[in-house]
Amino acid sequence: MFYLSLIEHTLRLPPHLLDLPLNEAIKGELESLFLDKVIANLGLCISVYDIRSIDGGFVFPGDGASTYTVEFRLVMFRPFVGEIITAKLKESDANGLRLSLGFFDDIYIPVHLMPNPCHCEPNPEKKGQVIWIWDYQEQKFPIDGIDEIRFQVQSVSYPPIPVEQPKESKPFAPMVIMGSLDYDGLGPVSWW
Amino acid sequence: MKIKKANAGALTNFEVLDFLRSRGAAKDPTRVIAPIAASEFKVYDYLVESAACNQTRESINELLEKCKKYDLAKAEILNIINIRPASPVEIDPIIEESEKRMGEGIEDLIEMVITVLPPPPNQMNTEEEVVAGDEEIADGEQTTTETTTTTMATEN
Repeated sequence: MFYLSLIEHTLRLPPHLLDLPLNEAIKGELESLFLDKVIANLGLCISVYDIRSIDGGFVFPGDGASTYTVEFRLVMFRPFVGEIITAKLKESDANGLRLSLGFFDDIYIPVHLMPNPCHCEPNPEKKGQVIWIWDYQEQKFPIDGIDEIRFQVQSVSYPPIPVEQPKESKPFAPMVIMGSLDYDGLGPVSWW
Repeated sequence: MKIKKANAGALTNFEVLDFLRSRGAAKDPTRVIAPIAASEFKVYDYLVESAACNQTRESINELLEKCKKYDLAKAEILNIINIRPASPVEIDPIIEESEKRMGEGIEDLIEMVITVLPPPPNQMNTEEEVVAGDEEIADGEQTTTETTTTTMATEN
């Protein structure tokens, strides 16, 4: 689920941070720049692991801040295809399920990757949501929000940033994970 | 920004949890004093509820040693450490073509995983309830004997 990535970045350190020790000031700047942001094809940045080297410290003419070239490692969340992850149900509608990990919410299980055969019934408690039920050997197994759901990562995609968005649509998701429940041992933990 | 190495090493859930703990995530109930961002706390919350929360470096090293004879891929071993499967049906999505490659070995592998890695907290709770039930009965008997001794002391 988690990888380390080695990144080099040219960082401008604002003058109001000059009283802090250099390491801390640079770490603070890096965190505000990268933490909780998605880097294309690398994943979601979770935290700064360590700083390998700090170079530079030049002050360019006309600028009050010093510029450093920093090499550091980031802990990235990037599940690989085929990985098994346990997540909680966030919402379920006619297109499939949406799962959440707490720190990452854009996990979708589309209808064709649900265990075969299954059907959906409208949820009496919440409007607009449905409960998916798996029909296996004449027994019904519902996917309710009670326990955690295990799924297998099918693909991780990074859609390009849209130029315009209509007002009512969902906020843009820079990283989307497609999962599958269509295998033995996957689905809510209580099924097995 | 230049990406020098996109993949400088895979981390198990335990290693990320250990890293967050070493920066002080566990000791701070207010979550304001420790130098950890709110988004990192969300990752910590997720990991503390997974199977990684009571693993240790030694147990993971032991598991790696014992897994060598099964000839598993690195990704499969990573999945096993993160999920801690406790039955053959849980191993099935992790190891490809498990019957062809291992056959009888699956049972041994699961035995080994269960003994080497500690169980995750929700499984441990069901075991604790059984033990707590016996302890409650023992406590009840003890309290009745204590009350009789105190009444005898007051009488004297």
